[in-house]
Amino acid sequence: MDMIIKAHDDRQTILVCCGTGCTANGARDVFNALQSKLKDHPDIEVLPVVKATGCNGWCEKGPLVRIIPRDITYCSVKAQDADEIVDKTLLEGILIKRLLYRDPVSKEHLASHHLTDFYRKQHKIALRNIGEIDPAQISDYLEREGYQALKKALQKMDSQEVIDTVKAAGLRGRGGGGFPAGNKWQACRNASGQEKYIICNGDEGDPGAFMDRSIMEGDPHTVIEGMILGAYAVGASHGYIYVRDEYDLAVQNLGQAIKDAHSHGYLGNRIMDSDFSFDIELVRGGGAFVCGEETALMASIEGRTGEPRDKYVYPTEKGLWGKPTVINNVETWANIPVIILHGAEAFAAVGTENSKGTKVFSLVGKVVNTGLVEVPMGTTLREIIYEIGGGVLKKRSFKAVQTGGPSGGCIPASLLDLPVDFDSLTEAGSMMGSGGLIVMDDHTCMVEVARYYVNFLAGESCGKCTPCREGIRALLEILTDICNGQGRMEDLQLMEDICLTMQEASLCALGRTAPNPVLSTLRYFRDEYIEHIKNHYCPAGVCRELTTFYIDPEKCTGCTLCVKQCSADAIKGEKKQVHTINESECIRCGECYRVCAFDAVQLGRRDHHEN
Amino acid sequence: MKIKLNGKEREAMPGESILELCKRENVPIPTFCYHQAFGGQGACRMCMVEVREEGQKEARLAAACTYLLNREAEVITESDRIQRIRRTIVMLLKRRAAGDPILKELADAYAAPDLEAVVTEPENCILCGLCIHACEEMGKSAIWSMFRGIDKRIATPYDEASDDCIGCAACARICPTHAISMEEKDSKRIIWNKSFELVACRRCGKEYATREEIEYLKERSDYGQENLCESCRKKTLAITVKNYI
Amino acid sequence: MQIDVNEYKHENEYKELIENYAGKPESLLAIMQDIQKQYNYLPRLAISLISRHVGIPVSRVYAMASFYKAFSLTPKGRFVFRVCDGTACHIKNSETLLDQLQKSLGIKPGETTTDGMYSVETVNCLGACALAPVMVVNGKVYGKVSPGDLEGIIKEYGGQNHGYDNQGS
Ligand SMILES: Cc1cc2nc3c(=O)[nH]c(=O)nc-3n(C[C@H](O)[C@H](O)[C@H](O)COP(=O)(O)O)c2cc1C
Ligand code: SF4
Ligand code: FES
Ligand code: FES
Repeated sequence: MDMIIKAHDDRQTILVCCGTGCTANGARDVFNALQSKLKDHPDIEVLPVVKATGCNGWCEKGPLVRIIPRDITYCSVKAQDADEIVDKTLLEGILIKRLLYRDPVSKEHLASHHLTDFYRKQHKIALRNIGEIDPAQISDYLEREGYQALKKALQKMDSQEVIDTVKAAGLRGRGGGGFPAGNKWQACRNASGQEKYIICNGDEGDPGAFMDRSIMEGDPHTVIEGMILGAYAVGASHGYIYVRDEYDLAVQNLGQAIKDAHSHGYLGNRIMDSDFSFDIELVRGGGAFVCGEETALMASIEGRTGEPRDKYVYPTEKGLWGKPTVINNVETWANIPVIILHGAEAFAAVGTENSKGTKVFSLVGKVVNTGLVEVPMGTTLREIIYEIGGGVLKKRSFKAVQTGGPSGGCIPASLLDLPVDFDSLTEAGSMMGSGGLIVMDDHTCMVEVARYYVNFLAGESCGKCTPCREGIRALLEILTDICNGQGRMEDLQLMEDICLTMQEASLCALGRTAPNPVLSTLRYFRDEYIEHIKNHYCPAGVCRELTTFYIDPEKCTGCTLCVKQCSADAIKGEKKQVHTINESECIRCGECYRVCAFDAVQLGRRDHHEN
Repeated sequence: MKIKLNGKEREAMPGESILELCKRENVPIPTFCYHQAFGGQGACRMCMVEVREEGQKEARLAAACTYLLNREAEVITESDRIQRIRRTIVMLLKRRAAGDPILKELADAYAAPDLEAVVTEPENCILCGLCIHACEEMGKSAIWSMFRGIDKRIATPYDEASDDCIGCAACARICPTHAISMEEKDSKRIIWNKSFELVACRRCGKEYATREEIEYLKERSDYGQENLCESCRKKTLAITVKNYI
Repeated sequence: MQIDVNEYKHENEYKELIENYAGKPESLLAIMQDIQKQYNYLPRLAISLISRHVGIPVSRVYAMASFYKAFSLTPKGRFVFRVCDGTACHIKNSETLLDQLQKSLGIKPGETTTDGMYSVETVNCLGACALAPVMVVNGKVYGKVSPGDLEGIIKEYGGQNHGYDNQGS
C-alpha cells in the first residue's frame, strides 16, 4: 500500500510505495518518519493509496517516494531522509540528487521514473491509473475520466451500440484464450432468458504473474465501470468479482470501491437515473489454479469444488446457475471504459492486425528491470526484454523466455524478434496466457523448468479427467527421472505421445495446455534433455544429482565471496588464496556458482568425479 | 433431427447425448464413468468421438457422454485419432489398476503398452466416480472425491468411519474394478473402515443387508418393513398380487 | 466423526460465524473462509455444523476443504514460513531454501512441527519478484534470501515473542 500525504494548499502529495517489495526494505519506517515530520503542518492529511506491486521494477531500489504534481521520484529512501525531503524538496523545491535514479547507461540522474526507458517505451491503457491515483478515493478516479464512459453509454448509446463498439475495437480476452470480447457479449445478449450474469475473473493463478492483482488493488473502479458497461450491453442485473484468495488488499479496495460506486449512484437501482440496475458481489476464491477456468470458477461460486465441465454449450448460454453468463478477465474489463469513451477506432489503432490494443506483461526472472510492463500488441520480445527490461541480469547470456505460465512454453533466443500477440505465441508453441514473461539465462535448466510446471500442475489440476490427471502424473515421474539422471531416450517419445492425448482428450484447457511447457522445451531444447539422459550432465548446473562444482585455481582470486555465501561451509580458503570446495560437504545449491564474479566456480560431471 | 452416425443417417432426439444415441443404435463406445442411472460425467474420456455440427468446417473431438445433440451433425466413433486416445487412456489407467481383468482386456484390445505401475496406489481405483453417484443416489453421500490433482481419491471424511455410511455396499457393487474393499464374515460387514451387523432374511435366512440400511430404508419408505431379502420380497409380493386377483 | 471435546467450547462461536450467512450452498466458501481466518484451520465440529447449516453432506464440505488450498484441516504453527515458489523465485533457487528449512526445522512444506511452533508452506508469486527469492514469515517479507540467511531468520522466531500477531493463515 502507498501512503499519501497531502498538503492541500499547494496540492503537493507524497506517495510512499508500501508494496510488498518496498515494505520488505523498510517503507513503513519511511512513512512513519515523514508522517511525524509533517505533524508540524496541521493542514496535512494522510491517506493510503496503492501502486502496482513491483511497479517500477525498482522494488530493489525501494523504498520509493514520489512527490506529485512535480513528478519527482526518490529511490532507496531511508527514514533519516525524511527531514531533508520535507525541508528541501517539499518546502523549498530543491531536488536531492543522491536520492534520484541514476541511469546505468548515460549515468544521468533522472528526476522521475517517467523519464526512464522502462517507462517511456510503455503504452498504458489498462494500467493508466496505477500508481497515479489513490484507489480508495473515488474522487481520484473521477478526476481522470472516471465513469465518463458509463455516462456516455447510458445517455447516448443503446446496448447493441456498446457491443458493436467493443467488437469494432477488436478487443480480445486478456485472460489467456484471446476470445473476442464483443462476440462473447453478443452471444450472451442473444441468449434467451431474463436473468443473466457478469463475472470478472480475478483468480490469477499463474505462479509468476501479478498484473490483475495490481489493477484490482490500484484501480478498482475501472474494473467496476467495465463490468457495469458489460452488464448494460448484455442485459445482466447481477455481477460477481472472483478474487484470488491471497489478494487481501485487492478485496479491501474492491470492496471500498463497490461501496463508493453505490453511494455515487453508479451501482444499484436505476443507475445514473436510467432504467438500468446492476449490482456487484465480491467472492473470495478458495485457492485453486483450476478455478481460473471459467466453468470451474462458476462451480466454485455455486459452492462446489472447482471441477470444470465440458463446454459444448458455452457459458454465454448456460453459465452460472445455468443462466447466460459473460466472464471476462480483469484486464479485459479495465480496457472497456477506455474503448467506450474514446471509441473503437482509437483503440484499434494500436496493436497488430488480429490483436488490438496493448497487453500487460509481468516481466520477471533473470532480467535487469522487473515489473509490470504494458506495451502495444506486436512489440517484439527483444524490445520488451532488452529495451524495457534492460537485458539479462549480470550480462549473462539469454537462453529462453517463458510466456503464458503453466499453459505456455519456453521461447528460445532465435525467436526474440517475434512480435508478441495472441497468434504468434500460439504458433511458437507457447501462449499469451495471463501475460507472465519469465526471462531465463544459461543458469536455468530447461528440463527442470518443464518439471517445475508439471509439478505445479500435478497439485493444481482438479484431477477429474484421466488424460490430465494420469498424464501429468506420468510426465512428472519421467521428468523427475531425467533430472535425476535416470531418464531413457525412449521416454522422450513416450512423453510426446502422452502429451498429444492430453491435448486432444482432456476435459478443460488446463489439461489441454498442460503439455506446452514440456513440448516447447522438447522442441527448442531437445539437446539439453539428451545431455541429461545420455551424458548424465546438466549444462545449467541445476539438477543436483548430475552436478558438482569445483574451483578453477587459475581464475580464483581468493575474494572469499563464495566462502561467505556457502551455507554448508563446504568452501575452504583464505583471503587472496585459492579456494577449494569440499565435495562431501557440498549440498549443490549453486550459490557459489552464481555469485562468483570471476567465473572461477566451474561445473563438473557428477559421475566423473565419483569415479 | 438427422445425425450421420459413422456414415449412416440416424434420427436423434434433440438434447440427447451422442452416447445415448449410440446405445440405441447399438454402436459400441467404451466408457468408464458413464452409467445409465446417472448419465455422463465426462471424466474418464474413453468415450471420445469426432463430431462436426452443421456449419462447422472441421470435426472436433468430444466426449460422447456429455455432448448433447441439438443440431444436425456428423459423428464418427472410430478413427485412428480416437483409437490412439483410447490406447493412451487405457495405458495410463492400467497403472492404477494393474491387476484388474477389465483393464487387462482393454489393454490387449487397444494394444496399449505397459507403463511401470504406480507402486503407491495398489487399490485399483480408476476414479470413475460411479461409487460417489451410487452413494448420493442412496441419499447418503458418505463418500466423495477428496483432494485434487494427482492426489485425488475417493474417501470418507478424514478416512474414518462415517456417520452417514449405512454399509449398503452400493458403491462396491457398482465399482467396475472392484476397488472398494469389503469384508463379510461372522454376520459382519466391514466397509469404509466401519463395521456393520448383517441381518438375515426372515424367509430364506440369507444375510441380505446391514441393520443400518434396513433402518434407513424403513425411515424413507415402508420398504424393508418385512425383513425380507430382495428375491423373497418379490416372491411374497407376487403371491399377494395373485391372491388379490 | 470423532470430535475433540475442546472444540465444543467454541461451538457457539462457530455457530455465530456460520449463521452470518444464509443456509444455502453458495454460502459455503465464504463461511469456510471466515472460520479458517478466525481459527487458522477448520475444526471438525465446525465442518459438521457448516454441513448442517447449508444442507450439504459432511463428505462434500470436507471435499471442499481438501480441494481448496485456502483451507487447512489441521491447526497451523505459530510461525508460518511461506516460501515463494513462483516461477521467478523458483529459477532463483527457492528450492534450496525449502531444503534448508527442512534441515533446520525437520518439516516439509505443508507440515507443522510437533510442538506447534512452525509450519512451512510454499506460495505462488507474492508479487515481489524483483526481490526473488522471497519468503514471508507471519506477514513479514524477506527478499533475496540466500540459504545462508535462513539461520538468522529462524532465530528471529526462536520461541520468544517477536511481535507475533495472529495474521498468518
Ligand atoms: C487452467 C486455467 C486457468 C485460468 N486462469 C485464469 C485466470 O487466472 N484469470 C483469467 O482471467 N482467466 C483465466 N483462465 C481463462 C478463463 O477460463 C477464461 O477464458 C477467461 O476468464 C475469459 O476472459 P477473457 O475472455 O477476458 O480472457 C484460465 C483458464 C484455464 C484453463
Ligand atoms: S483437464 Fe485437468 S483440470 Fe481440466 S477437468 Fe481434466 S483433470 Fe480437471
Ligand atoms: S464415459 Fe464419457 S467421459 Fe467417461
Ligand atoms: S515468483 Fe516469488 S515473488 Fe513472484
